[in-house]
Amino acid sequence: MFKKSLLLGVISGLLSGIVSVIFQKVYAHSLGSDFIDIVKPVNIISASLFGGILAAVGFWLFDKWLKTKGEIIFNFIFIILSFASILWPLAVKLPLTVDTPELFPGMVIPMHFFPALAWFTLKPIFIKPQK
Amino acid sequence: MKKIILSAIVLSSLAAIFAFTLSQNWQITDQYNITFSTSGASGIFKKFTGSIAFDDQNTVTSKFDVTIDVNSINTGNGMQNKDAKSAEWFDAAKYPVIKYTSTKIVKTGSSYQSTGNLQMHGITKQITIPFTFKRTGSGGEFDGVFTVNRNDFNIGKPDAEVGTDIKLTVSVPVIKK
Repeated sequence: MFKKSLLLGVISGLLSGIVSVIFQKVYAHSLGSDFIDIVKPVNIISASLFGGILAAVGFWLFDKWLKTKGEIIFNFIFIILSFASILWPLAVKLPLTVDTPELFPGMVIPMHFFPALAWFTLKPIFIKPQK
Repeated sequence: MKKIILSAIVLSSLAAIFAFTLSQNWQITDQYNITFSTSGASGIFKKFTGSIAFDDQNTVTSKFDVTIDVNSINTGNGMQNKDAKSAEWFDAAKYPVIKYTSTKIVKTGSSYQSTGNLQMHGITKQITIPFTFKRTGSGGEFDGVFTVNRNDFNIGKPDAEVGTDIKLTVSVPVIKK
């Protein structure tokens, strides 16, 4: 179970990282700001991968401790933490050389939900629902 | 007697004209830096314009007439920028500029002091700004640090989390016009 969970975490983390980088490019193309000096693509992919691995460990622990209810509680916690993490882009103080800090949350907040989205999308492929 | 009076008038007129023409006009370059800081808030104003007539040897005819665009405020945070421009703080829609016009500039040792009217948030107060001036070839740089009490200009609530004394650091490189 841990191996499957870890593989799901790594793949969903990488996928969300790649999607986030694509989103950054689309955002830059539409609004002219990509904040590339603040959020580098390598950092986006690393953070997404870290999120995916953390989710994998969390899922495995909840599944082990709480059995059938573990997944439900894990899903709630994953989403709550994703929501809570948007406080950072809202509160962060960017370097004063950045002309449009107003556009920063609009780019980063969606990225905070991509790991959960990728996890929920890929989970049925790696871990079959318990009957 | 008439000749003496006439000569005195001519001489004083010439002195006045001479003193007036001595004041050098300076053009503000794009490398200026207007920063503010207090507990709970700090940032810069990105747009600064105005006219500067200054002679370090003759401050009598020197004059500053400068304007800051309130909408150019940047704290580094989008929500703080929006708050700063709102009616509770600078009210940028109603008072889009901060204006300073000097009325007297004096030399104090190796530095200078400019007394003038600071107009901000619809209120005008007389303030004194200490500053230095360094000549660099055909240009120069004005540097000054001073403090403004935001309550004097009704900016923000008096008991807000942001400090009342705002430290302003001004650095204005100039070139001869």
